Amino acid sequence: MSFVGTHRCLARVAIAASAALSLSLALGTASCAGDSSRPSTFSTNWLDDQGKSIAEVQARLKNAPPGGNADLVLAVAGAKNDKLIGMPLSSSSAAGSNWTFQHPLDARPIIAGGVVVGSGNGEVFALDTATGKRLWARPTGGLALLGAGDDGTITAVTLSRGTGSTILVVGRDGSVKRQIETDKAVGDPAVVAGVLLVPWQNQYVSAIDAATGDELGRVTLRDKVSRADKIGGAVYFGEVAYVRFDDKIRMASQGGANRIGIPPRELPGTPRLFVPGTEKLPAVANARDRDRLFARPSSPEGPLGIDSNRFYATYFRLVLGFEATRGQLGWVHTHASDVIGGDAVQGGVLLCDEEGKVVVLDGRTGQVSFQSSFGEPIKSCVAHADTYKALPGPGGAGSLAQQIAEAVSSREASLATGQRLLLRELGTLEDESATKTLIEIASDSRAAPILVTDARAAIATRRNGTSYMLTALGKHYDFLRDVLASPPVGPIADALAAMKEPKGAPLLASHLLDPADNDDDVRRAAAALATLATKDELPTVRHFFTMYRGTAENDDVGQAVASAGEALLRLDPKDGRALVEQAAKDPTTVAIARTRLEALLTAAPDKPGGDKPADKPAK
Amino acid sequence: MRFFSCIAIAALATTLASGSASAQKPTDKPADKKDRKTAGANAGAPPPIDVKPIVAKLKSGDEGQIKDALDEARLAGPAGAAAAPTLAELLTRGASLPLTQAAIETLGDLESETGSAALAQYAVHRNAKVRRAAVKSLTRTKGAAATAAMKHALSDSDAVVRGTAASGLGALKAKDAVPDLFVALDHRVNEAAASIGQLCSVEQCEQLAAKLGRVPLDVMTSGLDQVLFRPAADINDDAKVKIIGRIREQGTLEGNKFLKDVQKRWPAGSSPRVRQAIDQAVMATAGGK
Repeated sequence: MSFVGTHRCLARVAIAASAALSLSLALGTASCAGDSSRPSTFSTNWLDDQGKSIAEVQARLKNAPPGGNADLVLAVAGAKNDKLIGMPLSSSSAAGSNWTFQHPLDARPIIAGGVVVGSGNGEVFALDTATGKRLWARPTGGLALLGAGDDGTITAVTLSRGTGSTILVVGRDGSVKRQIETDKAVGDPAVVAGVLLVPWQNQYVSAIDAATGDELGRVTLRDKVSRADKIGGAVYFGEVAYVRFDDKIRMASQGGANRIGIPPRELPGTPRLFVPGTEKLPAVANARDRDRLFARPSSPEGPLGIDSNRFYATYFRLVLGFEATRGQLGWVHTHASDVIGGDAVQGGVLLCDEEGKVVVLDGRTGQVSFQSSFGEPIKSCVAHADTYKALPGPGGAGSLAQQIAEAVSSREASLATGQRLLLRELGTLEDESATKTLIEIASDSRAAPILVTDARAAIATRRNGTSYMLTALGKHYDFLRDVLASPPVGPIADALAAMKEPKGAPLLASHLLDPADNDDDVRRAAAALATLATKDELPTVRHFFTMYRGTAENDDVGQAVASAGEALLRLDPKDGRALVEQAAKDPTTVAIARTRLEALLTAAPDKPGGDKPADKPAK
Repeated sequence: MRFFSCIAIAALATTLASGSASAQKPTDKPADKKDRKTAGANAGAPPPIDVKPIVAKLKSGDEGQIKDALDEARLAGPAGAAAAPTLAELLTRGASLPLTQAAIETLGDLESETGSAALAQYAVHRNAKVRRAAVKSLTRTKGAAATAAMKHALSDSDAVVRGTAASGLGALKAKDAVPDLFVALDHRVNEAAASIGQLCSVEQCEQLAAKLGRVPLDVMTSGLDQVLFRPAADINDDAKVKIIGRIREQGTLEGNKFLKDVQKRWPAGSSPRVRQAIDQAVMATAGGK
């Protein structure tokens, strides 16, 4: 069926009729002979030519017409996942008319240039992106569709054959122009002016002349590469970053190509910018589709950056917009249902959800600037935008703290990981309302316990939002008034003590005697009162001290007793000291408190005449 | 074994209580005004005992002696009320957990209002068992401090504390607590129903009866039973007939059973009009659901 050339041609370039694929092909020869400066197609004994061959290809294609553009959102729908719905996008208005196409699907369809490529029922087919009209179909023998590229004239389709791959080049009329078979795992190709740009073996991109099957040039990339995509008039290679196919591509193997990635930072889940081009995507979205990264290279020429200086992460219903240089969180959009697909567009990000809604978010603010619908729930979604630009949002977006508050208010267990990240972000914001939100979460008896723990940790480190802290401390567990959770007394006590906030003292004192507060909260409240309490709190502190010195049932409360003793020594040097001394001697006082009280007494020996009570918090 | 212990304690109690007042020395201190008032009102109250030895032991600082003193005071009961201030002082000073619990229970046994303030402090202790004991004792020591503490305890996180407080407020005749008791009943503090029944005004009793059908009947009857057997001067016949009518309207077998029970217990000579309403309601609900 195919043959191996005599010049150590490892790839099997078959230009033969394939019985297995039932393809009608003209016989030809592989580009294994002839020009020794060019690599043999997919050969692994090629020595890096320092960019020479790929530079020649780039020069040849530099002024080539870009081929078909696509601005389309495409959904898989239907009870049997056999319905394609196309939603053409237009920047000047809302979406164009949706089109539908019925066909069984065994893989996620691909938008490539001016065509949609799909597979199922033993064939691969192409549709016109604008109308959904079927252009052609070819049998595949059940091979899995991996990728597709198109230049407006020909379409290259890569199919997986288990350990190897098949590249099928099909004309607009459905005729197979070339079939290339290789034992290498090839990725998602691009096609420019009749030249196939095929990533393979995670490190190479080979430029193959579709007309002859010759490998015209090759580049070795320093990033993992399994995809070649045309975006907005330029071709990019990559999987973890974008490497632009421009005049610097010749320096790729030395790391000199124009490359842009997203900065490393903590993200919800383990989102990927791209699914490896060697991986077949199922027709129906899975968990990985709910946890994605989107970023768009800034321009086909000039310095390469990330469009709008924003990249985006989705996590179920949460959409996060990050500043692309340092990775700072810019905004959070809480969507109504799970986001299952989308694409970064100029000025924003386009997303589709499982209910069939499509939204475009303004990259600067995260506000919805456009929305439309497929008109029914969908199973998966892909999008491609060459020229489409997101409109600016309506303005008046809430603060980041407010956006996070909304995002973390949902009690869906699936969001917990994303919410935890957002809580950590919230803890770093200067905005006082961040304190309010953290307190609300920590006080919510229905919030996920892990979120409550995180919120409590963040509150303790806050140094603003005092009024919210004091308001929270004014609340106590009250069964009859349906207040079934205590405020986060301990963390607030830590924060107020660190801020030396005297207004906190009476409120903290009231919590010493609230049995619904947990032991840790009582310990921390007492510790704060050791420095914040004034004479006004003396009766409560004394009450606590005497009641628990012998009845503390754990170390937290025992330590709280000692802290109360510390406050007594400071506030009431005469009677308070006598009380503490007595307790320190009394064997019924719990051991942990007694030890600490003894230490306190030793550290602050009784001073003759030193009985002036402190009426201000300790400095 | 336990049976014998009980007998022994009972015998000791009898000795201490009857303990021939004449044979005893006068008490350390006369009972305070309130205690004397209580004692006067309660003709059957035992005469005060000499609490000097108990007080001395309570002040000893020795855990063993304090424990003995508490045992003695408990056995003395209200007769040892004069020891209450010292016991309250012990609680205010603080003690070990077992001693604290014993002291709280003992103060309740002394039934002296002087203990209420100290007990109220322990009604907010972190240990639920301590709170339960404190609220239970407050029901016996009574007074404004007890009422306030028990109202607060209706909102406690522990269901037993809430229930004990709800019952206690009825026993304390805390009429001003009825609105809180209604809120408690709405929050399934079922003990509140009986207390409301003991304390409600005519309008409040109507309000209670209006909950028939929404609150389980066994809970409702614990309150309505109280209402029906209250003196006519307190709750008039009209209100009682209305309540019977409401139970009758329910037409349930459970209601019939309750009405039959009321019929059986209805005091001879009490309102014939109410009696007639009960009789008719029993007949009307006999074939209930």
